[in-house]
Parts: sequence; structure tokens; C-alpha cells
Amino acid sequence: MHAILTMALKDLRLLWRDRFGMFWVLVFPLLQALFFGAIFRGDGKDTAKMTIGVVDEDQSQSTQSFIKRLRDSSALSVEPPLDANGKPATPLTPDQARDMVRTGNLVAFVIVKKNTDENEGFTFAEMPKLEVGIDPSRKAEAGYLQGILTEASFKGLQDAFTNPAGMRERIEKASKQLDVGSGLSAPQRIVLKTFFTSLDQFLGSVDPKVYHEGPQAMGGANIQLVDITREKHGTDNSFEITFPSAMLWGVIGCTAGFAISLVTERRTGTLLRLRVAPLQRTQILAGKALACFLACSGVILLLLTVGHFVFGVRTTHPALLAMAIFSTAICFVGLTMLFATMGSTEQGVAGVGWAVMLVFAMIGGGMIPLIAMPQWMTVASNFSPVKWGIYSLEGAIWRGFSFAEMLQPCGILVAIGVICFAIGVQLIKRRET
Amino acid sequence: MIRVDDLRKSYGSLKAVDGVTFDIQAGETFALLGPNGAGKTTTIHMMVGALKSDSGSISIDGATDPTRPVVRQKLGIAPQSLSLYEDLSAEENLQFFARIYGLHGPRLKERVDHALNFAGLADRRADHVKTYSGGMQRRLNLAAALVHEPKVLFLDEPTVGVDPQSRNYLFDNIEALKRAGCTILYTTHYMEEAERLCDRVAIMDHGKVLALDTVEGLISKFGGKSVILAQLDRPPTDPTRLPGRLDGLTLRIESEHPLEDVARLSSDGLRFTTLSIKRADLETVFLSLTGRTLRD
Ligand SMILES: Nc1ncnc2c1ncn2[C@@H]1O[C@H](COP(=O)(O)OP(=O)(O)OP(=O)(O)O)[C@@H](O)[C@H]1O
Ligand SMILES: [Mg+2]
Repeated sequence: MHAILTMALKDLRLLWRDRFGMFWVLVFPLLQALFFGAIFRGDGKDTAKMTIGVVDEDQSQSTQSFIKRLRDSSALSVEPPLDANGKPATPLTPDQARDMVRTGNLVAFVIVKKNTDENEGFTFAEMPKLEVGIDPSRKAEAGYLQGILTEASFKGLQDAFTNPAGMRERIEKASKQLDVGSGLSAPQRIVLKTFFTSLDQFLGSVDPKVYHEGPQAMGGANIQLVDITREKHGTDNSFEITFPSAMLWGVIGCTAGFAISLVTERRTGTLLRLRVAPLQRTQILAGKALACFLACSGVILLLLTVGHFVFGVRTTHPALLAMAIFSTAICFVGLTMLFATMGSTEQGVAGVGWAVMLVFAMIGGGMIPLIAMPQWMTVASNFSPVKWGIYSLEGAIWRGFSFAEMLQPCGILVAIGVICFAIGVQLIKRRET
Repeated sequence: MIRVDDLRKSYGSLKAVDGVTFDIQAGETFALLGPNGAGKTTTIHMMVGALKSDSGSISIDGATDPTRPVVRQKLGIAPQSLSLYEDLSAEENLQFFARIYGLHGPRLKERVDHALNFAGLADRRADHVKTYSGGMQRRLNLAAALVHEPKVLFLDEPTVGVDPQSRNYLFDNIEALKRAGCTILYTTHYMEEAERLCDRVAIMDHGKVLALDTVEGLISKFGGKSVILAQLDRPPTDPTRLPGRLDGLTLRIESEHPLEDVARLSSDGLRFTTLSIKRADLETVFLSLTGRTLRD
């Protein structure tokens, strides 16, 4: 054990002195956490399409055209997709939609409520009644989404105005409702009636084209924003989103560094010295693995410390965090051993290692946060260890995972680590003789 | 102390080491002399257990498996390529290599200091190895081999790429190790090094040991006669009475006893403007064994 520790400390010292390596391990991840953290903190208008799920409980003409307007919006990507007939391929149920937001597969859901006459009240046009839930980590975009929904609702009103015949029908209905009474005092009723009558005449005499400009600022749409964080914890701190992926970048930096270092030792001959020393081969590899493990956990801890004290990243569940850090480090130690065998030169290993790691990072949430991913990418991300690393860290930081929920990502990480380690060690053994 | 018997190693169809046999006495300095690609490094790597031999046996200090930790503790190797951590200082390198041999505490410090002095790097101990000159790195490469005080040292071309001054320093180092009783296996393709440092020399080529003896023994067996080259100051009165071959004023004589021949010619009244006596050396030995010179 003493020898293993000696070797691990030597490797850590070498890593520390390797400026280029340290850039990838610490500087780059930190920069990216700060950069994207700052961007996401903004209102998100510059970011890619927001994926929302829509449920139509009303199924009326007007709600359908409302949803069509949402689909036409360049800012939204609406689930479920339409089939060839222009119908939703597989309609979502309200519960499915809520669940998909909760699990990070959708940014928000919009449920168009059934329009019952009692709650219709006093309206010119059918304003859809909406239940909207947004991913807690995208709270910043809630206002933006609300704006889009409002706009889509009023487009409906605007359409109504450009169809004076339909509008006059509605006005007639509304003034009848006035007569039936709705607790309005007689003078008020008279004022409104006069208003409706003149409006009716006005609509009857004006060229419909005039209305195409449409009314712009007519209050809010009938939107009820529901809180979906009741059962799950969430975050409105964008740094809690970017720091876990930064941590994984740091871990990737360590992996690349250590995979290369094994080849460097072989090339420079220091591995020969190690191999003729009274050490078992397993001790040599264990020394490397320990160094890599310490570096990976160290960089996560360091970023976590910065994130916690400077950017308020929560560390409320230290045991779960430790679990996430441990399994992430184990996973990437295994990958390191495997990558170390993927070339006989430093350039070879660095090339293969970085190429694979970049793909892992790309599909695994290292570039696009997991919660902002389109559906297909979320599926693809399951093949990336980076995703499981980020997911486990997020689980401990803000997803509010229970111990049992942590077992899935952590188990996957450890399994990947162990399998890759075993394969890597076998390949190294075969090569060295 | 060391016995190597019919050692073989092939890479594909190439026989890198092809039935090598020799033994080395305790305290002896033994050279493997041969040109590039002769199989010296391959032999050493098999002896220290870093490379599996195809066949043959190795015995070091009574043990037949050099990969056993007790055996490894007794061995030290200075690899042919500089095998050091460039981003660590000399002291850190030596400390690290000493630690993996189990040294610690005051003994560790004592051995590291000794090795630093041995390499003449005591005043540069804290500098990173990458800032050293080639000669300094070579010295450290050697020092790292002996920091744990091994009984047997394998020095694989320890003077490659070193200027004459540093080379002399290394020679003094190695002679000090000899005096301290180390058993040394030394590989080189410089015959002067083998002649100066080594008790016995095995001449290797194409994976085979062609001859093995003391330097004197090899020269007298394979070196042939010494060569006297003399430039006469005037044509001799009776050329037929002279030994050797006369070409103009140049006289070339091959002789077993060159000094006596020169004395006799001189007492016969011959005068020389220049005179050289070239004793047979390992170069001539190699030439007569292989028909090639050592370095071509
Ligand atoms: N790993 C290897 N794969 C294939 N061939 C090898 C390998 N190692 C050595 N050889 C070949 O084995 C032969 C002997 O090599 P070796 O390194 O033992 O020579 P050497 O006597 O040490 O030469 P030098 O003076 O150049 O160091 C050479 O022809 C070399 O090309
Ligand atoms: Mg060699």
C-alpha cells in the first residue's frame, strides 16, 4: 500500500506540474461553468427552442388553432409531434406531460383546460384556459414562455376581430348575458350595453381589413402557472446546472492526462524502472488508478467548493454528493485504463481519448445541459458516462434524489468503471509481455 | 553470481537474441560489446525480468526467477534511454525510486544524498530534470539505478550522447562502484570503454556471443599482431635485409614483439622521421571476428 501511495503521489505531483494538463483539469471547466452559468442566468431568449408538451383537454376549434399557433412559434418545439394527417401522433395525458417535465425531458408543459360554461364568464373571444408547468431550472424562461402563450391567445382574439360577423354574434351573446344579470348594478349595465351597441354598429360598418393590426396590449391571457416543484426539488441557480457539467469536464481532463501518462512512462522508460522494481504489476496499475481517482474526486471537490462558496451551489446532502463523486471517479478511472491501451504513442492515446470523450461530453450534457436537451438527445445521452456523472451530481445537488434514486446513476457509473478497468488491465498485461 | 544459459528471444522472424550463454562472477565488471541491434538491450531486459525470454535460463545469486521481489531488490538498471521524470527534480526522482524499493526515513535521506553527490548534482538537486544538460541527465539516470544500493547493476550504454569530460566523470563513478564490490553488466559499442572498465568482454553480433574472454585474452586470440609504421629519413642501403614491407620510405611491419623489433632496427643504424606502433585492440578483434568494424 505504501508503494501504491508513493506512486500515486508522484503522479499527482506530475499532473500538478503539467500546465497544459492542469488547464483541462481546472481552468477550462471553471471557465465553462462561469461562462454558461452567466448566460443561462439571463432570460434565455437567445437559447435554442424550448421543448414543451401540449395537452388539449378541450379539443375545440379554438383550442386547436391556439395549439397550432404554438407549433408555428419559432421559439417552441412542441410535443407530441404531428403525424401525416396533422393530428398529434400519440397525444399526451396531463400526467405524462407533468412527469416529463419533472424528469427533465420537457422544459414545460401546457395543458389546455376544458372550457366549461361556468368559468367562461364574460369574454369576447374564447381565451384558452391553461395550466402551465415549467422545469424549475428554467424558471428564468417562465416569463418568456408566458409571453409566447399570451401572444398566441391574443392572436385568437385578433382573428375574431377580423371576422366581424362572428364577433357580432359574440357581442350579442355577451349583452344577453348582461341582461340575465351577473351582479352588475343597473347604471353599469347601461354603460356596457351602450358600449356593446356602438361596438356592434362599428363592426358592422368598418372594413374588416382595418383590424388586421390587432389589439396589442389587452391584459393577460388566462394562464394559471402551477408549481411542479412540490414533489421534486429544483434549482433556479443556473450555476447548479453548469457546475456539475464543469465537474465532468475536469474529470475528463484527468482521464485524458492519466491515460497519456501511462504511455509517457512506457516511452520514457520510467515504466521499465517501475517494472524491474520489487512491485507487482497490479501495484503499478493500482498506483495509477489511485492517482487518477484522487485527481478526479479532487477536481470535483475543488469545483464544488468554488461553486458552493462563490455561486451558492448547494451541498445539503453531503452523503449523496460523496456517493456521486465516488462513483463518477470510479467510472472515469476505469475509462482511463481503457484509453491508455488505445494507442502506443501519447498522440495516439490523446487523439482517441479526447475524441471519444468529446462525443461523450457532447451527448452527455457537457455542452448542452441535460435539462435543455431535445428528446432524441436525452435518449442518446444514456450511452454517455458523462451523462450519468452529471445526473448523479445533479441528483445530489438539486434534483433532490433519495438514496434509492441515486443508486441508478451511481450503479451505472461503477459498473462502467469496473468493466472498463478490467478490460484495460487485461490489454495492458497482454501488451507488456 | 549470474548465469545465463542459451537465452533466446525472437520478434517474428528476427532472432534478437539467439542462444546467449555467459556467467559473471561476483564483483566482476562484464561487458556486452556489440554494434547497434546486436541484442544487448534485449538480453538485459530478459535478465531483469522486464521481458519474457522464448527459452533459456537465467540465474541471479541462486534465484532463477528475476521477477521475484527479493531478487529485484538486489538489481539496479540504468536503461539505455533516459528514464526519468522530467518534471520532477533530481532529488524527487531519486526519492521516488528509493521509496519504491522500500527505503524510508534517515536511510532514504542518506541514500538520496549519496546518489546526488555521486551524480555531482548536489547543488542542482531542486531543479527540474528537464532543465539539465544531457550529461547531467545521464549521470542522474545512473544514480537512479543505484540509489537503493543494489548488488548487481545493469548499465545499458550509460555514456551515450555524453561529451568526453562527462564520460570521464562517469568512468570514475563506475570504477568507484567496482571498488565498492558491485557486480556490473555493462553494454556498449565503444571498445575503449570495455577495455578500460571491464574485466571480461563478450562480443555480440546478430544476437550471438562470438567470443568471450578478458580484453588481453581476446586480443591475443583474435587481435593478431601489432603494426609498426615507420617513416625512414633516407632510403635503406639494403632493403632486402629489412623485415616487413617497404613502400618508398614507409616501412610497415607486423610483429608480436614490436618494441624489441624497433630497438633492433635502431641499433642497425636506421633513423625514423616518424614512428608509430599500433597494438591490436578490440576493434581489430571485432573486425577479424565479423569482417566489419564496430561502428558502421
Ligand atoms: N519490441 C521490439 N519489436 C521488434 N523488434 C525488436 C524489439 N526490440 C528489439 N527489437 C529488435 O531486436 C534486435 C536487437 O535489439 P536490441 O535493442 O537488443 O539491440 P542493442 O544491441 O541494444 O542495440 P543498440 O546498440 O542500438 O541499443 C534489433 O534488431 C531490434 O530491431
Ligand atoms: Mg540497446
